[in-house]
Amino acid sequence: MNDMLKISQLKVAIDDKEILKGLDLEVGPGELHAIMGPNGSGKSTLGYALAGRDGYDITGGSIEFDGQDLADMEPEERAAAGLFLAFQYPVEIPGVNNAYFLRSALNAQRKARGVEEIDGMTFLKSVRESLKQLKMDEALLKRAVNEGFSGGEKKRNEIVQMAVLQPKLAVLDETDSGLDIDALKLVAEGINRLRDGKRSFVVITHYQRLLDYLNPDHVHVLSGGRIVESGGEELARRLEAEGYGFLEESAA
Amino acid sequence: MSALIDQLAPESGLPDDSHAEVRRRAQARLMSQGFPDPKTEAWKYTSLRVLEKREFQGIGQQAVPRCALPFAADVLAFDNGQYNPDASTLPDGVRLEPLDAQSLETLDYAGREDAFAWLNLARFEQAWKLSIDAPLARPLVLAFATSDDFSGAVHPRLHIELAANASATLVEWQHGQGEGLVNLVEQIHLNPNARLHHLVQRQHGELAWVQRTDVSIERDADYRFHALDGGGRLVRQDLRLDLLQAGAHGEIDGVALLDSRQHVDYHTAINHQVGHTTSRESFRMMADGTGVGVFNGRIYIARGADDSHSDLNTGNLLLSDSARINTKPELEIYAEDVTASHGATIGQLEDSALFYLRTRGIPTQEAMALLKFGFAAEPLENIENDTLRDWLMVLLNEHLGSF
Repeated sequence: MNDMLKISQLKVAIDDKEILKGLDLEVGPGELHAIMGPNGSGKSTLGYALAGRDGYDITGGSIEFDGQDLADMEPEERAAAGLFLAFQYPVEIPGVNNAYFLRSALNAQRKARGVEEIDGMTFLKSVRESLKQLKMDEALLKRAVNEGFSGGEKKRNEIVQMAVLQPKLAVLDETDSGLDIDALKLVAEGINRLRDGKRSFVVITHYQRLLDYLNPDHVHVLSGGRIVESGGEELARRLEAEGYGFLEESAA
Repeated sequence: MSALIDQLAPESGLPDDSHAEVRRRAQARLMSQGFPDPKTEAWKYTSLRVLEKREFQGIGQQAVPRCALPFAADVLAFDNGQYNPDASTLPDGVRLEPLDAQSLETLDYAGREDAFAWLNLARFEQAWKLSIDAPLARPLVLAFATSDDFSGAVHPRLHIELAANASATLVEWQHGQGEGLVNLVEQIHLNPNARLHHLVQRQHGELAWVQRTDVSIERDADYRFHALDGGGRLVRQDLRLDLLQAGAHGEIDGVALLDSRQHVDYHTAINHQVGHTTSRESFRMMADGTGVGVFNGRIYIARGADDSHSDLNTGNLLLSDSARINTKPELEIYAEDVTASHGATIGQLEDSALFYLRTRGIPTQEAMALLKFGFAAEPLENIENDTLRDWLMVLLNEHLGSF
């Protein structure tokens, strides 16, 4: 079976400073991989590089997503191909209505894939269901994107978007940070609902607690711009218990 | 600057009618003070050179465009500045009459910065009094249009009075063509407990448009202004609200969209003359190409106008390297127990917002249009009437499509 995501010896620099220094990662269809690591290890850089942010220059290696080389694809092309990034800090877009935004996004993706635009009723039904599942007020649909949302609402709104857009691969960048335990469960349920054996996930996190609900297939430790350790769930528990200190020891 | 006097206010050309005395007085003030120059603070960023270069001639022969609006309304048509009864309907509760001489005799304006108001007083062709005596069931439209061959200088004057407890929605639909000048003066008075929602939808081509709107608001009366301004070769709007008695409330919301060869200058002033008065203002400007925008928003709270509240914010978006916006909020407070706040931002489209939209699959051009719309739509969102709000939103969307 082909990989959903195949990252080989990836090097990414921001302003000529190399952040990712030869990262390898293979994610198969239906798999959920967790990436853990200390601050400054390059976790968010990986997310942005996958989504195609300007200024994140790929200086070496390759990213292959569902058989396509991502390097020359614009962010919107990556999205249309089925890649989704849940932002660590979702952006506020004043004046742009949440429902309108989400429908425009969905229809833009469908158009790029040559699929007919979704009708208003079907769209609303789908987004209302997702909101309900994440215990979010329907009134949020009429508000501007993320504007005036609490931190937790912003994070849950990312999961709503993911549920509506139905990507092939979702990269979640610290979606759990800043959430209380109830919101954390809702987010985890939102992710688990989408696990259908085909869709893949890369969950970037600082803490093990989200992983308790997700049962990742693989856990990786990112440090100094490389994956330095890979294992199963037990690796996450070890990191939680011992911290990242042992990495420095083994590096030294 | 004498070129402008010769062009617009030749001493010999004063109409000799029943207002001759008022006209002579205004002409004398204009002659002694002159037109604004670059040293005139209120005109610092708006040059009159465009006017100096023009030769004003006739008002033209061609037909003026007619407004087609997606809502039922009564329309008062002002074609090339002149009231056209054949294209107008006056609903019950509304009277339009020539203004009496007395109302003009006591008028006073300030110095050079008010030159166009003096010019209007000296040269107006017709001065109308529009009386709104009762709550109006549907919007009243003032359709100001000029024809393609309009190259005149006209000075319409309209005094609008809302009786106590009257309410109205007044829509100014302004579509000017040709290379002339329209110098409009409006004086609006709200008697106690009257309500006026005043919308301006403006889209001028090469026309120069100077408008002064003075609004006086009595006890418990409520005035709301909304503008969707598509600009023009030279647009200057002075909007002044005087909150005269306790309970008076005034709001100004507007957005001006500018592209190359367009200059729009808004000077707004909200004067809290007495206590227990409230106001708020939100204004946005967006400039592309070589467009130039000017916004000066002044809040004045007079001595003794205690317990007054006001909030002013202005946001500005520059879409090109050659566009310019000069923005200045001003607060002048001489009273106690007031709350007054102001804020001004100026910036470009945010990269982070653009990236966020693109990661959701929205193509760059569409994402930029969405961000521009979001920025520009905000001052129009609080329009309570759904039909009018939707109308302006659709126009805004169409307008941004051409950016």
